[in-house]
Amino acid sequence: MNVEARKRALVHFYTKVVTPLGYKFTPDEELKDFLLEQEVGLEQKHGVPFCPCQPITGERAHDMTLVCPCIPFHRAHYDYMKRCWCGLFVRQDVTDPDSLPQIPLSEVPRG
Amino acid sequence: MKKVSMYTLSTCPWCRKTKAFFASHDVPYDFIDYDLADEATQKRIMAELDAKQATGFPFVRIGDDVVVGYNPARYQQLLGL
Repeated sequence: MNVEARKRALVHFYTKVVTPLGYKFTPDEELKDFLLEQEVGLEQKHGVPFCPCQPITGERAHDMTLVCPCIPFHRAHYDYMKRCWCGLFVRQDVTDPDSLPQIPLSEVPRG
Repeated sequence: MKKVSMYTLSTCPWCRKTKAFFASHDVPYDFIDYDLADEATQKRIMAELDAKQATGFPFVRIGDDVVVGYNPARYQQLLGL
């Protein structure tokens, strides 16, 4: 497996998915590269590029909501944080991703 | 010093930052990497996450308090650093 080639392929595919959602890759290139590397590894292990920061349980309905890009399944949560949980994607108006903390779902206002 | 334990993922950069935070502040901690744990342990961890409506890692317990997500300011506050 050519990991670098697979990472470039994921970038190509993900860009087409997240752009219409109002998101983009994090400007933090080091974090982006690390996360993509983890996802290629997860894809090799599980057959699917799961989120590197959320638990896979073996329960299909749950796990499918963690397939990257998982933004559509967590829209309100991520829009509130202006980033996804692992930080691979941020809202398109974000310039300083370091200023965006992980906020637990329990602290996200409802409605 | 309050006891610190956490559930993490070996693939998660925020979990690595969390471990590094406590190490750099000389705070001892226990951890379990969820993805490297056996199935029974994973189920126990998921029950704890669900009880706190936590959907991701790091899941840090400082004394009786739980912090979900990388939050160094909260760690410092809870530890009085």
